[in-house]
Amino acid sequence: MSNTTYSATSGIQQEERLLFEHAHEAPESISLPGVQGKAPSSLDVFKRKSAANIPGLSEPETVRHFVRLSQWNHGIETGFYPLGSCTMKYNPRVNEQVARLPGLAHVHPDQPEDSVQGILGLLYELQGWLTEISGFKDVTLQPAAGAHGELVGLMMIRKCLDARGEQGRKKVLVPDSAHGTNPASAALCGMYTVEIKSGADGRIDLDELKKHLDDDVAALMMTNPNTAGTFESDIKEICQLVHDAGGLVYGDGANLNALVGVARPGDMGLDCLHINVHKTFSTPHGGGGPGAGPVAVNDTLKPFLPVPRIEKDGDVFKVVTEDKQSIGSVLSTLGQTGVYMRANAYISAFGHNHIHKIAQDAVLNANYVLSRLKDVYHVPFEGLCKHECLLTDEWQNKHGVKTLDIAKRLIDLGFHPMTVYFPLIVHGAMLIEPTETESKETLDSFCDAMLEIAAQCEAGDTQALHDAPVKPIRRRLDETQAARKPVLVWSD
Amino acid sequence: MRYLPHTNSDRQAMLESMGLHEIMDLFTDIPKEFHTKLGSLDLPDALSEAGIVKKFTKAAEKNRHAGNTRCFLGGGTYHHFVPAVVDYVISRGEFLTAYTPYQPEIAQGTLQALFEYQTMIARLTGMEVSNASMYEAATATAEAALMARRVTRKTRTVIAGSVNPRYRTVTENYLSRLEGDYVEVAMGEFGTDLSQVIDAIDETTACVIVQYPDFYGSVYDLAPLREACDAHKCLMVVAFSDVSAFGLIESPGAYGADIAVGSGQALGIPMAFGGPHLGVFACKQKYLRQMPGRVCGLTTDADGKRGFVLTLSTREQHIRREKATSNICTNQGLMCTAASTYMTLMGDAGLETVANHSAAALDLLVSKLPNGVVAADGAHYNETVLTFASQEKRDAFISEARNNDIFAGIPLETIEKGAEQIDGNRHLLVATTEMIEEDDISDYIQAMEVAL
Ligand SMILES: Cc1ncc(COP(=O)(O)O)c(C=O)c1O
Repeated sequence: MSNTTYSATSGIQQEERLLFEHAHEAPESISLPGVQGKAPSSLDVFKRKSAANIPGLSEPETVRHFVRLSQWNHGIETGFYPLGSCTMKYNPRVNEQVARLPGLAHVHPDQPEDSVQGILGLLYELQGWLTEISGFKDVTLQPAAGAHGELVGLMMIRKCLDARGEQGRKKVLVPDSAHGTNPASAALCGMYTVEIKSGADGRIDLDELKKHLDDDVAALMMTNPNTAGTFESDIKEICQLVHDAGGLVYGDGANLNALVGVARPGDMGLDCLHINVHKTFSTPHGGGGPGAGPVAVNDTLKPFLPVPRIEKDGDVFKVVTEDKQSIGSVLSTLGQTGVYMRANAYISAFGHNHIHKIAQDAVLNANYVLSRLKDVYHVPFEGLCKHECLLTDEWQNKHGVKTLDIAKRLIDLGFHPMTVYFPLIVHGAMLIEPTETESKETLDSFCDAMLEIAAQCEAGDTQALHDAPVKPIRRRLDETQAARKPVLVWSD
Repeated sequence: MRYLPHTNSDRQAMLESMGLHEIMDLFTDIPKEFHTKLGSLDLPDALSEAGIVKKFTKAAEKNRHAGNTRCFLGGGTYHHFVPAVVDYVISRGEFLTAYTPYQPEIAQGTLQALFEYQTMIARLTGMEVSNASMYEAATATAEAALMARRVTRKTRTVIAGSVNPRYRTVTENYLSRLEGDYVEVAMGEFGTDLSQVIDAIDETTACVIVQYPDFYGSVYDLAPLREACDAHKCLMVVAFSDVSAFGLIESPGAYGADIAVGSGQALGIPMAFGGPHLGVFACKQKYLRQMPGRVCGLTTDADGKRGFVLTLSTREQHIRREKATSNICTNQGLMCTAASTYMTLMGDAGLETVANHSAAALDLLVSKLPNGVVAADGAHYNETVLTFASQEKRDAFISEARNNDIFAGIPLETIEKGAEQIDGNRHLLVATTEMIEEDDISDYIQAMEVAL
């Protein structure tokens, strides 16, 4: 059942040395503008005693080096990338074009306000849109990524509790399905976490939650839809319970793609929500970042928003740098504004008339994949999924095949694997998030590949799974060796 | 909608295959009361691609930028030259649109670029190892302070008042919810008086943070600090704002820094109104297991071929959760690729030229200052503080410069408030790079002469 259109092949892929292994001396260096003199003699005593040993290649060699490296990568532009919890959707090219306009890309953050009204306007506009889409009252653009947003959210929660005279509350409840950044952020904020065990349906169990609600509770951090891809339908009761106990509810918005334009977390009782614009709002992941993690807040937390922030005074945009109750600042600047240019362009392309189609098609695609795979892969939690679906390797285990083998085999079949071994609440998790930018044809060919793998398991024909991947430039890499004797820099 | 491939008949076919009728049947698990009326959000009408370009062009035209002005602004962000190849490389979809390299077999490009980045950053800063980036310089500084607490199991942080006020603010903010003292040592001058910093160290001190070149661009001998840190068994943390300095002047590592943190924005990354930039984090090998953030390491594959993976992940949040060395997950990956590309194009010689031109421009500017304007004493790299007779004079110069398309500098009080050395709002933080030509400096001085 292999699909030739989508299966991986190897064309001309070149091996490429490390920069440091290029044999020849550095060529004449590139010509640089500016004052063509030397540094003043006052710096002489501080000069480097030995050169840094940065290799230096000619321009054609540099281009070829990095283009070859790029060809060893899989990106959303190369193919399907159903990485659960990561929302690998298409990143519109026009967003790249507009973010590079000189009037946006080459602006210094300390230029006088009257010289940056254009970019402040775009950022202010985005603040309004993110607030509206999430259903809150205001938003900060300062956090640089989702985890940074978590820290900011918890800082605001602590400050709010302080203002209520409840300094003692430091307990943060985190479902066992939560992303690792949630407990790590709580610790960074000087709080401690208590894990709540998920119910049999993978959702927050109200009775379990109640057991942990006491006078120490500062917050519940919840992800909705949760990391199993299902909606916490008891959301209203959950928020009510936490609020009645004197705590606040932090929303991890990594999964907002399931709700955009269809429902708003702010309407459901949460106190704040971080938004991963590099997920929901299509800004590219860049092989690990940069992203941005704006945090939207309700009226309870609004007074504590970080500074600096952008406000509008008549027709003029202003940067406010001080605010009595603010938690202060968490970054040198207003935020990752280049990332926000792309998010603004993305929302502009949908407008009020199309924005809900993001969530609709994302959820449609995930449920479609689930419906095609549910008879051959174990589905731990029955029912509708939202933008991603969770499977496990339970049925393949009896043939000696694990999630990792399935993932690696997918590579040979031409697909980026799903997220593996997360969430931690099921054994051998496979979390599949197709996103709304994939066609039915792509989804079908991926499902065909998954069915083929399952069939191979059933037939006991599993060698190819254990050997996989064989097609990419490298086969399975030895992670134990890398960690045991870490080599993080090259030595000549 | 042009980003969505489904036709209505695709949607219908998919729904029918699941025994459903309409797409909202997929949302019945969300309580009705929370359903937003479709199309009701307060957003504008959708724009066409041409409409988006028009909108952004219009907004961009309202801004002044480094392309149509002469930019003497620094304070943590610098207008260095960005070669075309850098932007080309990071625009390649394979780099741009990949996720964190969790599946190393199909992410060797990103991984090798990261390994090369780590190597070149370690060499440039003179450190043994580097991670694969932090968000930016201020959070990198805060993370260094946190790491020093883990390494030393002590909780007191000493920071020089000549560290960029923004890095100090963020560091203090990060530390304020944890036990332990945070001590800022006021300098009383536009430079770093190491003896005062050293006096503030005691046995309970986890680390001392200084900036080099400091916030005022001043370059000084760090050697005494190493001795003091050894004497008190605390870590020496060296921050920096413009990493291009180390193409020329001695690196933090050469002075024995335990951790070097700062901004790598100078390495081919546009100013972009404050981000995305690049947080550099490098340290000694022996502290590796307490380092925050991702790292890429060398290994071999099943066929024995050399390859790269993300490693030491037992430090990180996805494994260690609340005991992780940091909460960071998404970092500034693509900016590492940009910095790698930039450094490859430059090599030692290019980096040294960038630093020479940047410093030579400041030197030329200072040498031409008219009476009534004084530059801070001592050796400076590419940034200094100019002091005017009064705020009136300074502001008159700023606006005269502006009339000549020059951003003359940052009024110091906008970044640094309440420091002893700031008497009256009459100081200007001025920075130069290789993008400043001799003509620009003549125009700068002329504006000064006109205004004063
Ligand atoms: C559920 C969840 N929460 C939080 C995060 C952290 O976000 P970021 O990587 O932007 O810091 C992620 C991203 O991986 C996530 O999937």
